[in-house]
Amino acid sequence: MSAATSTPVVTSPGRRPRYLAIAVTAAQQAVAYRINTVAGIIGNFFWIAILYYLWRAAFAETTRIGSFTWSEMRTYILLAFGLNALIGFPTASRMMYAIRTGDIVIDMVRPLNYLRTQLAQVAGAAVLEGVTSFTIILALGIGVVQILPPASPFAAVLFVISVAMGFVTKFLFVFLVALLCFWTINAVGLNWAQLAVVNVLSGTLVPIELLPGWLRPVAEWSPLRGIVATPVGVYLGQDTGWDLTLMLGLQASWLVLLWTAADRAWPRAFRAVEIQGG
Amino acid sequence: MPIIEARGLTKRFRRPVKPPGLGGALRHLVRPRYEDLTAVDGIDLSIEPGERVAYVGPNGAGKSTTVKLLTGILVPSDGEVRVRGIVPFANRIANARNIGVVFGQRTQLWWDIPVREAFRLLGDIYEVPDDAYRATVGELVEVLDLAPLLPVPARQLSLGQRMRCDLAASLIHSPPVLYLDEPTIGLDVAVKARFREFIRTMHARRGLTVLLTSHDLGDIEELCERMVMIDRGRIVYDGPFAELTRRFGYERSLHLLFSAPLPEAERVIHRAIGERAPVIIVQPDETSVTLTFDGRETSAGELIRDLATALPVADLRIEEPTAESIIRKLYEGTLSFDGADRSDRQAIRT
Repeated sequence: MSAATSTPVVTSPGRRPRYLAIAVTAAQQAVAYRINTVAGIIGNFFWIAILYYLWRAAFAETTRIGSFTWSEMRTYILLAFGLNALIGFPTASRMMYAIRTGDIVIDMVRPLNYLRTQLAQVAGAAVLEGVTSFTIILALGIGVVQILPPASPFAAVLFVISVAMGFVTKFLFVFLVALLCFWTINAVGLNWAQLAVVNVLSGTLVPIELLPGWLRPVAEWSPLRGIVATPVGVYLGQDTGWDLTLMLGLQASWLVLLWTAADRAWPRAFRAVEIQGG
Repeated sequence: MPIIEARGLTKRFRRPVKPPGLGGALRHLVRPRYEDLTAVDGIDLSIEPGERVAYVGPNGAGKSTTVKLLTGILVPSDGEVRVRGIVPFANRIANARNIGVVFGQRTQLWWDIPVREAFRLLGDIYEVPDDAYRATVGELVEVLDLAPLLPVPARQLSLGQRMRCDLAASLIHSPPVLYLDEPTIGLDVAVKARFREFIRTMHARRGLTVLLTSHDLGDIEELCERMVMIDRGRIVYDGPFAELTRRFGYERSLHLLFSAPLPEAERVIHRAIGERAPVIIVQPDETSVTLTFDGRETSAGELIRDLATALPVADLRIEEPTAESIIRKLYEGTLSFDGADRSDRQAIRT
């Protein structure tokens, strides 16, 4: 077999940390699916146009709705959709698909923690989503919508931290929903349901303070507000002092709780419904 | 010291019993009922380093479940299992470093990623040191002739090419134990032959311990000196493949062709051989008959001697059991292995 000697086939690229390597590979995969991913995000931004004109009409009569001014509201809409574009429909579908088809077995025979592996994959895939989203926000935000800058440099830093926590929160929520695939065949239905719940309770469609009275307390305290409402609130400087600490504390506490739940639920779900193969 | 050791290994699954229809589903919600299924039933298995063992049995016999128990994906309901001294389910990650797995029906490559990148990622995942990585992948590329495939994403590989890459992927971290779960499924004859050659080469070079599940007799015969056969979760045979025919090949057939039609051959045969031995007679048409008998109780010679004068025999053929026919009979559930060592008349249950 002469091929090996004639061409330098084995390069020595150096070792990468395990989960980083997985994330990088997932990013490469996402690039292969780029049309799918980008189309999904652009489709998502049509919602922004609809909400933008809806709210503009509402603000024609008044200068404030709830605590929002018109410039705060349009900033909110744009950021909310930009953030919610992370971990989109295709990514969630892939997580569920791996469980449905039994492809998770491949990850299980490797020296990897399943939850961390999934997070690394999702984070890698989100790089493309994030870059696309960020570009659109920047273009629209500066050119068309004229969004507000962060309330302060401090708010900008906290925003980045809050976005990171929100990202993992969304991952954990989608992961926990994906575990239901062990019991149900309808992954697509689950995914749509998950999407609807996140859109409402995270504050993506409507800011939480404008939700109907019976739903508001649920959304105020649910972990899903950490995905959109909390980081955007931090960006706009809506909460300060004690309230700000409370918001970020709530976000961090849910994160820890959901992580623990996912870490424990995963092997149980796997073993509760393991099916007999040949 | 054995590298794979199982004692009384048992896996029971709890399966929900749901009455049919929506009503049944609702009733199950209120009062769930379950039944136990024993997929692996008290298996004792001991495999020495460097052995190549075929693990065979009909669909649903418990093969995959055993492999999952050995990889630590499943937790046994009872019994003990150790792979290289490690209890797989208690220490799945440590065990994962010692094993390589190839699933014929799934790929461990990444669909849209070039093979080269997939190898590199596996090197990272298993934390293979740089020089060891270069040496191992260099060897695998050479032996499996992968150089032209390295820049190709997995989705563009043919099944045969994919299997070669999958085999390499499973060996990147130089595991001492390799599980092959139906690796040649769907491969054509030539690719199969090459694949077996690779396994033999890698075994010879690395002293791998190989556990192969397959329905392909060629895989078993060419790759494994030892065969473990399971049926309904229990081991029914554990020994050299070549000995299978010697131990279980007692069921023989004698085909007779008559020179003239003889509709009542069965009665004539019974009268001719009397009480000598139980014989199963099948007469497909008026001019031929097939006798199936236990080779330990009577011989073809004795039967021919008795029948040659009683019947108008024009031609005859004796059918020796092959490994294939024995395994097929086991799969069909028509061969009892329980009585195999006794000269028990019940042994044949055709």
